[in-house]
Amino acid sequence: MDSDRRESPALIRLWRIYKTTKEMCADRGYEMIDEDLEISLAEFKSRFSKESDGEPDRSRMHFSAKPSTLMLAKYTDPPTPKNPDPQPQTGSLWIEFTPDENVGLKQLRDFMQHLVTGNYWSGILICPKPITGMALRLLRGSGGLDEGPPGGVEVFVEQDLLVNITKHELVPKHVLLSKEEKNQLLARYRLKETQLPRIQVTDPVARYLGLRRGQVVKIIRRSETAGRYASYRWAI
Amino acid sequence: MGPKSILKNSIPVSSSSPSAKPVNERHLEVALYHANLIKEQRDVEEQILKATLTLLDFPSAPGANPARPSIADALQFRTLIIPFQPSDYDSLIEERNIADLCGYALCPKPPKRAPLAGKLQFVDTKDGVQIVNKKELEVWCSEECARRALYVKVQLNEEPAWMRRGGIGDKIDILVENTEDHRIVLPLRPKHKESDANKDDGETNQDQEDEQEAWALREEAMAELAQERGDRNAKSTKKGLIKATIEERMTVKTPVAPSTEVQHGGAAHMAIEGHIPKADMPKKSVDGQDEDEEDNDWDD
Repeated sequence: MDSDRRESPALIRLWRIYKTTKEMCADRGYEMIDEDLEISLAEFKSRFSKESDGEPDRSRMHFSAKPSTLMLAKYTDPPTPKNPDPQPQTGSLWIEFTPDENVGLKQLRDFMQHLVTGNYWSGILICPKPITGMALRLLRGSGGLDEGPPGGVEVFVEQDLLVNITKHELVPKHVLLSKEEKNQLLARYRLKETQLPRIQVTDPVARYLGLRRGQVVKIIRRSETAGRYASYRWAI
Repeated sequence: MGPKSILKNSIPVSSSSPSAKPVNERHLEVALYHANLIKEQRDVEEQILKATLTLLDFPSAPGANPARPSIADALQFRTLIIPFQPSDYDSLIEERNIADLCGYALCPKPPKRAPLAGKLQFVDTKDGVQIVNKKELEVWCSEECARRALYVKVQLNEEPAWMRRGGIGDKIDILVENTEDHRIVLPLRPKHKESDANKDDGETNQDQEDEQEAWALREEAMAELAQERGDRNAKSTKKGLIKATIEERMTVKTPVAPSTEVQHGGAAHMAIEGHIPKADMPKKSVDGQDEDEEDNDWDD
């Protein structure tokens, strides 16, 4: 504990953010090494702090992740006669911690360019402060604009990743359903998807899981009377 | 196979069929109308975003002088900036500052650095020393650029571009020194030179010149006035002076109390607050004054 105190607050902060990011990737289904998930502060310091002043060096913290086979299966649509061999709608992920205080259009565009040239499916940019309004607009419209990776770009503010919100006792477990599971659910309850309750894609947990429009999550709560209670949400 | 319904064996629920015809043609129209509005809005936003991306890399030449921009740059800047709202313009300035450029889009220099390292800075003004945020100081490269940029900002239309009616606010002036080069594109008209040249053409010619100039000046003044008043449809207003003759309405008569039931006899059940619409009434001879009374006062 005493050794912790001696580190700079910025380093401890970034260490927690780094850990949350790794956990987030693991929860989404990317392949992660267990050592990385439980990286100690000392190791984090030796890997990512600057020699001169012990402050963290964000430009060295970037990493990439590959989806696990389980995740690939989950993101693959069930085969149809028209499309007998569907490709998974996911791929490799690139995560970058930007050292710039202010992230504007220029930085975001550079990041997108990097993702395209590196052939990444999607990317996550983690910045110290909220990005500018115009950059947000670019982010929203990136599907329409022809630049950017196929899976889109997500931007997180460091503040939001300081704690892992899914570990809070009041946050129930969210499980993403695959297209096939979703169809089964709709058939089981004889529903149309529009008849499901909804969740916004901007919801903190939805952002954590990287939900896209049209996906369904199963939410499992503890219930005093029934033991477990499952409900479903349609991401909108 | 899904679980069977315990209800009667009716036709299986058909999955949502998008091909089904809309119940009401009107619903479709309304939906399309609103969808088109939203699409228009989207298009404008994308246009602004693309313009911002272009203006982020302005000016095209690294050594450009903001006071004497090249004609191509100036023209492009002025056309790109039209759909902007003042808030969009602020974002453009912010983006340019982040990219380490002066906020004025036609200036290639980096913004001025604040002299102190702290977040708050002291600035000497007329009213004494003021404390301002460091960010506010690091926007422009010079006072002149600030003036030029704000000169553009005040001309921008506050109304979002998708709400604007055609032809209003689609002319943005910029402050430049080489006005002569931009004369073709700029509406600034140095009149006096021309009239000077024509001075020795004789008296009559001079008079005509004067008259024309006076008319031109008047037109300009009217346009300015219209802008000042915020006349939306400045173009639709009549060009010439208004020749109006005022006519007093003379036929004023004393108000008459609503006619009683006795007067109209059998038509009393048709009365609306004492007035009987004559639409489906048998024509009867009433004097001219009565005609006047029924002068469509229920129409509007």
